[in-house]
Amino acid sequence: MGDLFVLAISCIFINNILLAQFLGNCPFLGTSKKMETAVGMAMAVVFVLVMAGIITWIVDVYLLKALNVEYLRTVSFILVIASLVQFVEMFLKKSIPGLYAGLGIFLPLITTNCAVMGVCLINIKEEYTFVQATVSSFAYAVGFGLALILFAGVRERINLARVPKPLQDTSIGLVTAGIIALTFMSFKGMV
Amino acid sequence: MAQSLAKEFTKGLWAEIPPFRLVLGLCPVLAVTKSVENGIGMGVATTFVLVFSNLLISLLRNVIPSKVRIACFIVIIATFVTIVELVMQAYTYELFLKLGIFIPLIVVNCIVLGRAEAFASKNGPVLSVADGLGIGLGFTLSLAALGAVREFIGNGTLTIWEGLPVFEMGGNFLPFQFMIEAPGAFVGLGLMLCLMNLIGKK
Amino acid sequence: MIPALLFMLGIGAVCGIVLSLSSKVFYVYEDPRIAQVENNLAGANCGGCGYAGCSAAAQAVVSGIEPPSVCVISGKEGVEEVAKIMGVDAGSAESPLSYNMCEGGFRADDKYYYMGISSCKAMAVVFGGKRVCGVGCIGLGDCVKACQFDAVKLGPNGYPVVDDDKCVGCGACQQACPKDIIEVKTLSEKLMKFNQEHDPLAPCAQTCPAEINIPRYINQLKEGKYKEAVQTIRMRNPLPLACGRVCPHPCEDECRRGIEDEAVSINQLKRFVADFEMNSGSRIPIKCAPDTGKKIAVVGGGPSGLSCAFFLRRIGHQVDIFEAMPKLGGMLRYGIPEYRLPKKVLDWEIQGILDLGIKSFCYVKLGADFGLGSLMASGYNAVFLGVGAWEDYSLGIDGENLIGCFTGIDFLQRISSGEKISLGKTAAVVGGGNTAVDCARTLLRLGLDKVYMVYRRTRKEMPANEVEIVASEEEGIDFVFLAAPTKVIGDDSDNVTHLEYLKMELGEPDASGRRRPEPIEGSETMLDVDMVISAIGQSPDASFKEQDPHPRMTELELTRWNTVDNDPATMQASIPYIFTAGDAATGPSLVVDAIGGGRRAARSIDLFLKGKPVEPLKDSLQNKRIRESIFTKVDGIKKSARAKMPELPVEQRLDSMAEVDLVLPEDVAHKEAERCLNCCRICYNPDTDFPMAKAN
Repeated sequence: MGDLFVLAISCIFINNILLAQFLGNCPFLGTSKKMETAVGMAMAVVFVLVMAGIITWIVDVYLLKALNVEYLRTVSFILVIASLVQFVEMFLKKSIPGLYAGLGIFLPLITTNCAVMGVCLINIKEEYTFVQATVSSFAYAVGFGLALILFAGVRERINLARVPKPLQDTSIGLVTAGIIALTFMSFKGMV
Repeated sequence: MAQSLAKEFTKGLWAEIPPFRLVLGLCPVLAVTKSVENGIGMGVATTFVLVFSNLLISLLRNVIPSKVRIACFIVIIATFVTIVELVMQAYTYELFLKLGIFIPLIVVNCIVLGRAEAFASKNGPVLSVADGLGIGLGFTLSLAALGAVREFIGNGTLTIWEGLPVFEMGGNFLPFQFMIEAPGAFVGLGLMLCLMNLIGKK
Repeated sequence: MIPALLFMLGIGAVCGIVLSLSSKVFYVYEDPRIAQVENNLAGANCGGCGYAGCSAAAQAVVSGIEPPSVCVISGKEGVEEVAKIMGVDAGSAESPLSYNMCEGGFRADDKYYYMGISSCKAMAVVFGGKRVCGVGCIGLGDCVKACQFDAVKLGPNGYPVVDDDKCVGCGACQQACPKDIIEVKTLSEKLMKFNQEHDPLAPCAQTCPAEINIPRYINQLKEGKYKEAVQTIRMRNPLPLACGRVCPHPCEDECRRGIEDEAVSINQLKRFVADFEMNSGSRIPIKCAPDTGKKIAVVGGGPSGLSCAFFLRRIGHQVDIFEAMPKLGGMLRYGIPEYRLPKKVLDWEIQGILDLGIKSFCYVKLGADFGLGSLMASGYNAVFLGVGAWEDYSLGIDGENLIGCFTGIDFLQRISSGEKISLGKTAAVVGGGNTAVDCARTLLRLGLDKVYMVYRRTRKEMPANEVEIVASEEEGIDFVFLAAPTKVIGDDSDNVTHLEYLKMELGEPDASGRRRPEPIEGSETMLDVDMVISAIGQSPDASFKEQDPHPRMTELELTRWNTVDNDPATMQASIPYIFTAGDAATGPSLVVDAIGGGRRAARSIDLFLKGKPVEPLKDSLQNKRIRESIFTKVDGIKKSARAKMPELPVEQRLDSMAEVDLVLPEDVAHKEAERCLNCCRICYNPDTDFPMAKAN
C-alpha cells in the first residue's frame, strides 16, 4: 500500500507528465487559454487515461506477450486507444449527456494526446503489475490535470499583462510553462 | 511541376517550419533536445515516417473510405513507426535508448498526422514526398537548433554525431545546467519562437 | 508471421465491429454540417486552434463562432473546402460585421490618473474603467490589438472604427472588449438586439418602448444622411411615418435638454426623415436575412402584428398576416382618425412592409374563419396573437342602447370604414382618453354644432396626450369636468335627447395616484345632446377563445382584463408556440409599446423556432433606466426654443379631415437636430459643462 502511495506521489509531482516527461504538450498549450477548457480537458484525461491504462495493460500481457508479437505494441495500442476513445464518446453522448456536455468535446482530442499513449507505454516499460499500472495511470492523469489547471490560471492573468509583441501568445506561454516546470523541479527530493 | 515541387519542399524549411510556424509536435521537441545528436536522431526518424507515410497515404488516397480515413492513417503511420523502431534498435541502439518512448510516440505526433490529412490525402505521391521531406527536414533543423542551444549553454559542448569530434567550451565557462533540465526546454523553445516572430515580422 | 497477421486482423476486426455497432446503438442526431466540416479539418486533434479537438472546432465553425480558417494544420485547400460547406446552404450563414455601439464626438474626461497596463480589460477589472462614463468605451484599444485582420483602428476621437471591407466577423474584438462596446453581429442579431443594463444608451433611447437609437438618427439627420436615419429607425420601428404622427413620445420626457430647457422635439425629427423618404418618390431598400424556411402566422395586422411580422421577415422567416378587418393597420387605421394619420400615408407605409415578401389575408377572423387547428395544419411553426383591444367598455347606465348612442372604438371604426351614420347636432363624448378626444374632434369635423367632453376628473388627470387636448380646446370642444353620467334620456321614439350626470369632487388619491372622484349627492344635471359616445376604455375581444374548436385553445390563459396572459419579458403565452404583444397583451396602450412588444415577440419566436429555450434577455433594460445616466441637472446649456410644430390653422381644420399636424421644414429640422445634446454619443461629465451645449 505504501509503495502505491509513493508511486502515486512520484507520478503526480516528481515525474509530472507534462513538465518533467514532456508528454501531452500540444493540448497543454492548446487548451490552457481558458480555465473552463482546462478543467474539462483535465477531467477527460483522467477519465480516459485510467481506462486506456487498464485495457492496454491487458492487451499487452494477455495478447502481445502471450502471442510473442511485442513488436506490434505501437500499432495495437494506438488502435485500441483510438477505438476506446471513440466508443466512450459515443456511449457518453447517448447515455450520459450531462457528462458528455462537460467532457465530450475533449475526448477526441485525447486520441492523439501522447500523454495517453505515453503513459500506457511507460506502464509496460516499467513492468508494473495490474494494480500499479492502474494507480500510475490515474496519478499521471491527475498530474496532467494539476499542471494544466495551474497553467491555465497563470495564462488567464498573462492575458492582462503587457507582453512584447513577438513574445505574445504561445511564446510567452512556453516561457511561463518553463517557470512552472522549475517549481515542479523542487519536488525532486521528495521521494 | 519542378517549380511546385521545389515550393512544397522549401515551405517546410521556412514558411511552415514546425514547430515554430506550425506550433505542433511539441512533445519530442521539448523532450529530446538535450543535445544536437538527440535532436538530429529524432528529426531523422520523424522525417522517415513522414516521407513514407505521406507516400503510402497519397498512393492509397483514392482507396481509403473517408469515414475511416483517420484510423487508416494512424495504422499506416504506426506501421512505419514500428519499422523505424526496429531499425534503430538494430543499428543505433544507444540513440534508441536515449530517445526512449518518444520513438513509438511519433505515432501521435500531430505533425505527421496533420501532413497526412492536410496534404498527402489530397495530393499526388511525388508532391507528398516533397512535402514530407521538406517538413521533416525543417523539423530536424529546428530540433537540431534547439538541441544546439540547450546543449551549448547547458553543458558547454556541441556533439553533432557520435564519433565526430566534440566541440567543447574551455576555460572559465560554467555550464548553465538549467537549460538541460525540463524548464530550460520550455524557456528555450519559447525564446526561439519569440526570435522567429521577431525575424518573421520584419 | 502468422500469429502477427492473425493478431492484427483480430484486433482490427474487434475494434471495427465494436465501433460500427456502437455507432448504431449510440446514434445521436447532429447537424450534418458538423461532420462535413470535421472531415475537412486536419483530424489531428492537436488543440492548436484552442478548441478541444477537431469536432469541437467543427461545431464552433458551424455555429458561426469561428471562421473556416480555424484549423492551424489544414492548408488553404482545407479552408476553402470548409468555406464551401458553410457556403453551400448559406446563403444562410449571414456575414457578421463588427459594430461599434459607442461612437462620436468627444471623449469623457478621465476619472482616474491611471498608470497601469494599457489594456481595457485590465482597467475594467481594476476600476471598471478610468473614465467618468461608466458604460462607454474605455479607449485603450484592446479590440485593435485583438483584430488579426487590421480591420479595427482607433479613430481620431479615441473610439474604435471598423473597416467593414476588412472585417471578417471573427469576433475577436468582441471577445476582447470588456464593455461590450464593439460587437460582431449579423443583421439578424442587430435587429434582435434589446437594450441592456450595461449598454451605452442615452436617456431617450432607454425610454423609447421601441428602443430606437434616437441620438444616432438625429445625428444622421444633422449630417444630411436622411436615408441612413430612416434605416436606423427601421432597425427598431417599422412604422416611422405612423409613429412620427401619433406617438406621444415618452422619449422626450427624459430628454436631458429638457432638464434645463425644452426637450428636443424627437418625434418631429423622426417624422421629418420618414416623410422625406415618402416624398422622395422611392423606397429605401430594406435588407433581409436569407430565408430560414420557417413559417409564422401573425394574427392581427395592427402595429404589434406588423412590427412582429416585419422583424420576423427581416431575420429570414416567412410570415403571413391574418386580419379580421378589410385592411391592415388595426387601430392605426380604424382607431386613429384621418386628420391625425391620413390613410394614404398609412397605406404607403404598410405596402413597404408587405413588399418584403409578407403575405396578408384580410377579412378573416380568428375563431370564425380559421383557428389554431387550421394554422397548425397549414404548417405554421408559431403563432403571434396581436388581436388588439377592440371591445369598448360600456358605461353601465340606463338608456345606453338608445338611438344615437355609440361606443368609442366602434364609432371611429365605422367612420373610418366610410359607413354612413345618422348624426345629430350636439354630442357628448364620455371619457378623457385619446379615443374620447379622437371621437370628439372627429364629430366636430363631421359637422356637429356642439361637442361636449364629459370626464369624471379634471383636465390635469386626463390621460389623453397633451397636444391632443390643446388641439381640441383650440377647435372649440366644450369640456365638462368632474361629471359622471348616470342616465341617457330618450324621447318616445327612443332617440337620445339628454345625458344626465352627477357632479363630482376629487377625494383621496387612489391606487393609480390620481385623486378619486366622489359624487356630490343630488347634483344631477342634464346635458342637452342628441348623441352620446362612450369612450371609457377597451379590452381585447377574446371571443376567439370560445369560437375556436381546437382543443388546445382552452389552454390559452386570459387575465381578468381579458388580455392574453403572457410572460412580459418573452411575450410567450401559456401555449408555448403562441406569442402575443400589443393591446391584446397589455390592454390599451401606445402604438410604440405595441411595436416594441412585436419585436420582442419576434425575438422569442426566433428562439423558439431555432429550438433554443425561450428565455428573457439577461440584464434587459425593459422599462428600467440606467441610473447613472439619468441626471438631475445639466449645467452650461444655452437655452434655445424647441421647434414649433407647424399646424393647419384652426379655421381650415373643421371643414375637412385634412391632416392637422404638419412636417417641419428642412432648415427647422436641422436646427432642431442641433439642439440634441448627443447623449452617449459624446460622453460628458455631469459635474462639468456639456461640450455640445457650449458649442451651440
